[in-house]
Amino acid sequence: MAINKKIRQFFFPSLAPAFLIRAGCVALIAYLLFGHLLTPFRIKGHSMEPTYQNGSFNFCSRLRYLVSPPRRGDVVVIRFAGQRVMLLKRVVALEGEEIEFREGKLLINGEEMDEPYRRFPCDWNLPPRRVEGNSVYVVGDNRSGPIQNHYFGQASVARILGGPLW
Amino acid sequence: MISPRIKVKYILIGLIMIAMGIWGSLSLSQSNEKRVKKQFHLLSEAVSREPGENIFTLDQKLKKIGSLFDETCDIHIPAQSLSGRLTRDEITAYAASARLHFTQLNIKFHDFDISFPEGSGARVRLTGRLTGKTTYGEAVDEAHELECLMKKSEKKWVFSQIEVVEVLKK
Repeated sequence: MAINKKIRQFFFPSLAPAFLIRAGCVALIAYLLFGHLLTPFRIKGHSMEPTYQNGSFNFCSRLRYLVSPPRRGDVVVIRFAGQRVMLLKRVVALEGEEIEFREGKLLINGEEMDEPYRRFPCDWNLPPRRVEGNSVYVVGDNRSGPIQNHYFGQASVARILGGPLW
Repeated sequence: MISPRIKVKYILIGLIMIAMGIWGSLSLSQSNEKRVKKQFHLLSEAVSREPGENIFTLDQKLKKIGSLFDETCDIHIPAQSLSGRLTRDEITAYAASARLHFTQLNIKFHDFDISFPEGSGARVRLTGRLTGKTTYGEAVDEAHELECLMKKSEKKWVFSQIEVVEVLKK
């Protein structure tokens, strides 16, 4: 009988003021945490493989770049459209740097970059271009597909929402 | 001397009038918002395509697309290298040729952010999601941020500018 009562109380608690305050606090904390600090997102697409798999789940840490700007090699979450469509990409070049792809190799200011996160073969060619002010150049880790089918390029730093939690 | 009861009555009437004023202005701007959103809904219906669409439906939809635009409309779609001022007929022709590449096409608009900066214009920032299947059988699922300007022409909101926001510049 006592167990039954406890179960009933757990699922159908009495709406006492203390319970309502507790529920309100939980809802507020959840809203702040998952709405503004750690936004949940699901990865759709293969552009960041093998680092991030299609269909995997993660959180966007919104405070990551609050005090320091993104650095080369960071994986960032970019607001692409509205508040629901985001892009997960890796920063490969910073403001003022010159970027180029030559037969799949990434060159920054004419120097070939070591990219340990890249596993798949790449044959991209892109003439050199300079990254504009307040922008970073982002590319996916999986560059096995044709260059014209891949979302990459320079994005405004203001559009960076944060970085993945793991 | 005005009795306190009459004073309260005047205060109440004043408050009711203020509330009605606020309600009136809010509902007016909301109705404008609704009208603007309705145009996007109509555009979505007209652009969308179902498999086996007949010529009559196609003709009706193309006419509908034309009627939603101003006489000329600035269109900027960087990914398609399309940029310039197009006439209604050009837009209809462009839409007709674009639809031909798909056997199934759906466009949905969401995340509306509507403002009315000028007396007769509306600025709309929103997300457009395009899904469908190309004639080669490839599935398409793309979302883009759009910035549109709309103009009130003969009590109807029409598109005067559509720009696909270029988030990543190659």
